Amino acid sequence: MKPGMIQATDAFERIVHWVMAISCIILFVTGLGMMFHSLNFIGTMTGGLKSLKFIHNWTALVFGFSLIFAISMWWKEAGVIEIPEDLEWVKCAGGYLWHVEHPPESGKYNPGQKMFFIAVALCGPLMVVTGLLMMFQILPMGLTRWMYTLHAVGFVTLFAFFFVHVYLGTIGNPGSFQAMTTGWVTRGWARKQHPKWIREMEEHGTLVVYGEEKKPSAHGHG
Amino acid sequence: MNKQPELVKLIDTTLCTACRGCQVACKQWNELPGFRTKQLGTYQNPPDLQWNTWTLIRFQEYEDKAGNFQWIFRKDGCMHCTDAACVKVCPSGALFYTEFGTVGLKEDLCIGCKNCVAACPFEVPRYNGEKDRITKCDLCHTRLQAGRQPACVLSCPTGALTIGRKDMMLKAAEKRVKELGGDANVYGDKFVGGTHVLYVLSEKPEVYDALPKSPSVPLSILVWRDFLKPVSLLAAGGILVGSFLHYLIKGPKLPYDDAGTGKKEGGE
Repeated sequence: MKPGMIQATDAFERIVHWVMAISCIILFVTGLGMMFHSLNFIGTMTGGLKSLKFIHNWTALVFGFSLIFAISMWWKEAGVIEIPEDLEWVKCAGGYLWHVEHPPESGKYNPGQKMFFIAVALCGPLMVVTGLLMMFQILPMGLTRWMYTLHAVGFVTLFAFFFVHVYLGTIGNPGSFQAMTTGWVTRGWARKQHPKWIREMEEHGTLVVYGEEKKPSAHGHG
Repeated sequence: MNKQPELVKLIDTTLCTACRGCQVACKQWNELPGFRTKQLGTYQNPPDLQWNTWTLIRFQEYEDKAGNFQWIFRKDGCMHCTDAACVKVCPSGALFYTEFGTVGLKEDLCIGCKNCVAACPFEVPRYNGEKDRITKCDLCHTRLQAGRQPACVLSCPTGALTIGRKDMMLKAAEKRVKELGGDANVYGDKFVGGTHVLYVLSEKPEVYDALPKSPSVPLSILVWRDFLKPVSLLAAGGILVGSFLHYLIKGPKLPYDDAGTGKKEGGE
């Protein structure tokens, strides 16, 4: 952290993020071990496929709780699509895929990030609910069967988005990863990635700059 | 695997007297405990298949359109599908196709996920919560391997249960249906790739309790296993390759120079 850096996330946000990330990865790995016979060896490493089932089911509990915090603290910032500016951004893919002279300026979260959040906010609870109904088969069998299908739909979505998220959060956008480690980003990164966000914070006086005396920002979970 | 001939058990419901010898023999050979049950006004006992009851005679009072009363007995249990939904969804390989074409169960491999409980169109596998495992009839796999008949077949005093090579049993079933005439039919050879348990039914299949008219591997299971499963890997693989190409072709989105005036530094 150097003087002049900007606070992007608070510690609570980062903790929730990593609890969710790690539990999600464990769920992916254990789930894949049960999904493909060729990956059954993952179960061997944990002392049998049955242990894998237990790890999967109990990790889901952690994932479920992190999800509650994640959705309640981020939905206002990342869950609300603003028309028309977000639509403009989507039309040019935010300048990520082809050359765009002036892609629409993003606020704290760009529409791509919002889509990722919405995917997690929808598929996450879907995974928890369908998973529970697969464990406790209280619905008629005809419906229970579709829980497996929906669980797989959620997995396809989350698994694909996961890799997009990892790429764009690391080497795809240098400087972004720190937002989830130290929580501080450079001013240059913020101006490039989220110019509207930094402008709004300056206007509202909520910008927190490292090394400067100022009250903490009011963003984040409420 | 298939050095052995495919075996089929034929259940001729018209010869069954509901003595339930097969039910007892099954419990005895497979060392399945009995639990106290309630008298529900029927000889059908226990009321349904359970983890400790792999075969069950279903008692059904039936009156046809002409007003003829009939007491129907049907031995229920695993049908040993050729295209078995339970084997398709089993994550551990506990459920498997045996050398006889039947569906076996390696109980020690079962992780109690209950995928098969949901998938089976006949609702045969049952969950044992105490052991966290499922159980079902394996057509006495070890007895077949020793060249002996399944316990139920051995116990049957009327010849309602027989076992033999698939082609021969099919022929025998068709011959019997012809003899019976009327609504009599062979049940089991026309779906899920043909089952390794065949019924000779005296009435149309829809007449019987808990017997699906035309069972199949459920659509939800097919979408899950045959479509979404490969798609999950293809989608993630596509994203990985796409990201790599994006990095090479378009390059990362670099931040502005921190100290600078806001001039672009390359990248978008």
